[in-house]
Amino acid sequence: MGLLEFINFYLIPGIVLGSIYALGAVGITLIFAILRYAHLAHGDLATLGAFIALAIVTSAGISPLAALPFAIVATAVVAVGIDKVFYEHLRERPKIITVIASLGIALMIRAVVQVIWGVDSESYVRGISRPDVYFGLRIRDREIFTVLAMLGLVGALYVFLKQSKWGKAMRAMSDNPNLALLSGIDNRVVIMLTWIIAGGLCAAAGVFLGINTEIKSMMGWHMLLPMFAAAILGGVGRVEGAVLGGLIVGITEELSVLILPGEYKAAMAFVILLFMLLVRPTGILRGKVL
Amino acid sequence: MEWIGLLNYALFMGIFIGIYALLALGLNIQWGFAGLFNAGIAGFFAVGAYTSAILTSAPADGRIGGYDLPFVIGWIAAMVAAAAIAWPIGKICLRFRSDYLAIATIGVAEIIRLVIKSEETLTNSARGIAGLPRPFGEWPYVESQAAFLVLVAAIVLVVYLLVERQFNSPWGRMMRAIRDNELAARAMGKDVEYRRLEAFIFGAAIMGLGGALFAHFNRSITPEAIDPMVATFLVWIMLILGGSGNNRGAILGAAVVWTIWSVSEIATDQLPHEYAVKAKYIRLFLIGLLLQLVLRFRSEGLLPEPLRGDQGNSGIDRERSVQS
Amino acid sequence: MKTKLLAVTAGLLTATMLASAPAKADVKIGLIGGVSGPIAAMAPAMIDAARLAITHVNDQGGILDGETLVGVVGDSACNPQGGTDAATKAVNIEGVLAIVGPHCSGAVLAATGSVTVPAGVVVVTPSGTSPEISNIADNDTVFRTVPSDDYQGRALARTLRERGYDKVAVAYINNDYGTGLANAFRGEFEAQGGEIAGFAAHEDGKASYRSNLAELASGGADTLVLFDYGDGTGLTILRQALENGFFEKFVGGDGMKSDAPINELGAENLATFVASAPVGEKSASLDTFNALFKEAGGDPDAIFVTTSYDAAFLAALALEKAGGDKAGVAAALREVSNGEGEPIGPGEWSKAKELIAAGTAIDYKGAAGDHNFDANGDVPGTFALFEVGADGFEVITEMK
Repeated sequence: MGLLEFINFYLIPGIVLGSIYALGAVGITLIFAILRYAHLAHGDLATLGAFIALAIVTSAGISPLAALPFAIVATAVVAVGIDKVFYEHLRERPKIITVIASLGIALMIRAVVQVIWGVDSESYVRGISRPDVYFGLRIRDREIFTVLAMLGLVGALYVFLKQSKWGKAMRAMSDNPNLALLSGIDNRVVIMLTWIIAGGLCAAAGVFLGINTEIKSMMGWHMLLPMFAAAILGGVGRVEGAVLGGLIVGITEELSVLILPGEYKAAMAFVILLFMLLVRPTGILRGKVL
Repeated sequence: MEWIGLLNYALFMGIFIGIYALLALGLNIQWGFAGLFNAGIAGFFAVGAYTSAILTSAPADGRIGGYDLPFVIGWIAAMVAAAAIAWPIGKICLRFRSDYLAIATIGVAEIIRLVIKSEETLTNSARGIAGLPRPFGEWPYVESQAAFLVLVAAIVLVVYLLVERQFNSPWGRMMRAIRDNELAARAMGKDVEYRRLEAFIFGAAIMGLGGALFAHFNRSITPEAIDPMVATFLVWIMLILGGSGNNRGAILGAAVVWTIWSVSEIATDQLPHEYAVKAKYIRLFLIGLLLQLVLRFRSEGLLPEPLRGDQGNSGIDRERSVQS
Repeated sequence: MKTKLLAVTAGLLTATMLASAPAKADVKIGLIGGVSGPIAAMAPAMIDAARLAITHVNDQGGILDGETLVGVVGDSACNPQGGTDAATKAVNIEGVLAIVGPHCSGAVLAATGSVTVPAGVVVVTPSGTSPEISNIADNDTVFRTVPSDDYQGRALARTLRERGYDKVAVAYINNDYGTGLANAFRGEFEAQGGEIAGFAAHEDGKASYRSNLAELASGGADTLVLFDYGDGTGLTILRQALENGFFEKFVGGDGMKSDAPINELGAENLATFVASAPVGEKSASLDTFNALFKEAGGDPDAIFVTTSYDAAFLAALALEKAGGDKAGVAAALREVSNGEGEPIGPGEWSKAKELIAAGTAIDYKGAAGDHNFDANGDVPGTFALFEVGADGFEVITEMK
């Protein structure tokens, strides 16, 4: 196998897939770090984002990339709403209660998507797009957009967390909630911000998955486990870790067919994860140990 | 005719509730009493079901097994196999705490599912194993259902009594001590890792038995049965809803959740016929919503963990141990 | 809160009671399908097709003494838990006399093993393709209108060899449907002197299959044989294979003969794509069905709709023949479709009803085949190879 073939058919798809995982994993890692539970409705929230974008694309006749900001805002609103209506009351209860609640939310979101949009496979743009060739590298526009958008969104989030007042408050909550609360940080604002960011990134993950493949009612649920693996792999609470984790999971999944039968592709994320937990439980970039 | 139909339906529900009650009891040992966040129930369920299926089915070409053994041997082997597979998993994974353990066990269960789905010589791959013997299977429909229900109920009762006895024994006290305050328990000289492994294996064996009962009730086992939704998450909903840390709660949770799961379909079938398909999606929405309501208004479960001695503030301790 | 919970439970139970008191004038059959779960995208069209058959019955004089035939939809969620649950409710609460479904083989095995065989209710599955279904100890109550994977895989292999395909790669979805087809195809294709240059299963629902495709293509085959679902993972794979030019020609099983690839990828991109699917002899019945289903707003190219329609129509014919006697349905089912008697096509209910009343033997020629059941309740199936033309799929050749 030539180097170009390796890059074109294994590495590039892995990076694109990894970027989509990364967008979801960042949200998961933030919720893990600040709210301290595993949010199982994350995948279905991404599905909802993808379908909201689809509704905008078909009704307004714009490209999916133009619809992306609207989908991000709409999904962020939904995420905050879900938190207010369902999760907020459970804040003082053991975290397992919220984990189970989020499972119920996943069922509810999926049901809403299936009732409104049906269960058929949809795509944003009909037809196929063959890749352009740059110096032997076969890349599609939408793949470049996916990776760039991921880097852009996560980069902006990174700067926000490092520089802004509220970003620092979020990191403080993640590091030591009691201390953060003592120093006068408004818990409610931090939690709302977390949901806005997580919801928005969810929508982006869903839309980019939809742009690169199809939009289906089960698409998010299928992505949930790899996204969790990516978040933990990178180190809980570390945004850049989630990106790294997402890319590693995506690339290893694509490379796994070189050594394993294709049906075990889905197991790759967990094999890496188990290995990582054994040798370095904090994740690649030293994250929180829950 | 009408009441016979209802009776039959009730018998069927009883059998399923019994099988799920076993899974919930197994989980209760792991989570309710030892605080182990096992999200890989489907894996142990699958190992139990397939072990028994391989041992008791008729010989077939292209796969191992088909030993035609009596189902009792299959069921015992199911428990042994589930326990045997839990041992290395526990050895590796139990060092992780709470959510990490959950993700690790989900991963192990997914790997088990993929192996079962793909390895033709071991499990007949995606086609599954059919033609298993069912106890009292040759009896007429109603009698056969009733007899199987009695058998399942008896097994649940035995397991319940066994587990309950363990909990009230010094062993149970020690487990709760480890769960609520690991450091103190360790300081008292308890071998925390070993005890946790014990609880993990004990729980897994019961889950394996549940899987075997399920396979023989349906006379077949296929990989669709070990989907994480129906074999893992549903059990978690049952335990949390019923009341973790309380064995009767686990059984009650299984009964309530399965009743909601099953009866909700009849309720949504009352919608007009043109909505017959959409009604199924609405049903899942209602199940999700009902779950939210119960968690919102009764988040300690229908039957909370009984307070033993000075455990009045154990809820708060739990909270802390989960967070940290 | 306890009272609230009680209220909710009581409400649900009341609904149960209401449901369990059906109007006496209705004759019920169960339509059990994987409405939620992995085949959620296919189930609605299949249920619509079965309900079209029921509509035909009711529009043309109803069943038995002009009674209304009612299809009770149940959700098997494509797993054994849901399958047995839905079948138990259909048989015991709704009192159905026959069941069309369940859709997935795992649900068929479980529901027949624990519910319908003991209860003596006839099951006709339109899409359970696993060979294990042939072996159920069923007292002759389990039938299917879809041929076992074996037939189609072999027929497709022979047809491809005749049409000059020498070297192919096979990709199949890792479930009973894909595994069965792929293994049957491989055996026959190699026996006929063809070369399999790549053979791999894939899991459902992943976002990228490009590395799988690259691995398959590395064997040097120019044709990809794809056993998957056209509105599920199969669409993703076909898209990625076309976009990256891994293969020149594409062949699908009946699961791939779906409108989704044409709608989503465009007919102009599918010039080298062919798919096999079961058809009725001389396919006059298929044309009739296609017209009827299109008229009713359905998509006749959707997966398993022909078999679903046939299963429901056959169940109705058998009920009519048996005079509404549950125990006689199985025997009647064999009588109405054994190759002897006045031929009946899709939609010809009133004609069939008159003939049955007159005691004349009838023979249903379905949209998906003649359905002359063998000893196991299986049908041999006749297949045709389709290509994508200007208005959807067009027959190229019959497959033997």
